Amino acid sequence: MQINVKTDILAGNAEQAAANRKEFDRAGVKVINVMGSPGAGKTTVLEKTIEKVKDRLRLAVIEGDIYTTKDADRIESHGIPVTQINTGGACHLDSSMISKVLKEFPLEEVDLLVVENVGNLVCPVEFDLGEHLKVAVLSIIEGDDKPLKYPLIFRQSQAVVLNKVDLLPYCDVNLENLRRDILSINPDIRIFQVSARTGEGLEEWVEWLCEQS
Amino acid sequence: MHEMSLMEGIFNIIGEAIEGRQVSRVTKVSLKVGVLTNAVPEALQMCFQFYARGTPVEGGEMVIEEVPLVIKCGECGAEQKLDEPVFLCPNCESARVDTISGRELLVESLEVE
Repeated sequence: MQINVKTDILAGNAEQAAANRKEFDRAGVKVINVMGSPGAGKTTVLEKTIEKVKDRLRLAVIEGDIYTTKDADRIESHGIPVTQINTGGACHLDSSMISKVLKEFPLEEVDLLVVENVGNLVCPVEFDLGEHLKVAVLSIIEGDDKPLKYPLIFRQSQAVVLNKVDLLPYCDVNLENLRRDILSINPDIRIFQVSARTGEGLEEWVEWLCEQS
Repeated sequence: MHEMSLMEGIFNIIGEAIEGRQVSRVTKVSLKVGVLTNAVPEALQMCFQFYARGTPVEGGEMVIEEVPLVIKCGECGAEQKLDEPVFLCPNCESARVDTISGRELLVESLEVE
């Protein structure tokens, strides 16, 4: 006998994500989901962003990591409320993991909640957390072939931070090709070229982020 | 490697679908998986074997139908299958395109005894 099912495998996650989003909207907090490969510079970009934004917006951070609290410790040193989710092996955060830690924040007292996802260019984008914006961080030294190899993250994100542009003279990446490929996947995406290390380009990114909040 | 999480979702759906029915075995599980999803069929098969152990699904097969990337152009209205993830209309080169298919992750049907 055949049973027709026709059910979305991610329906459970989508349902919890919608509940999270409702809770965020009720509390008036904007939520961004920051995704990218290990070593792209997500935490460093976040640290530099916090320093520029913390006098303008009330921030909080959720750090996703497989096992450690290394990133959360770095964020905490900036005096921002931070909570750690250890996925215990899973390569991404999902909406139920987020829902479980929300009670740790007084959401009404937060303007912008940043979720730093597990370092991974593939899996996190499949799992809606209930966020309002997705932001990809890609370091230019990862290579200009990455957008076409991993298109979904660029298709679904509202902005991409191209980090480590200070290393441009030392690598063979073609920035023009990189930008062209990203825009061919998503013509509406905002591209910010930054170096979190030197501070180059961060102002424009920070202004955009504050406008969204 | 999010295939394990996906498989957990698949087995929840199977459990709900056969609950309350006289089912002794699930012999076939049919999925639809879009090419944009990054779900690797081989990895799904491996996770399927792992999850099936000790359940009515053990010994059954999983069949994956891959769904191509299809876009619909907002300018000229053409619907086209894309082999590369370049979201430009092959007909008029407009970037105003919507994804019609390619992101599916569905349990389509089950064969049960």
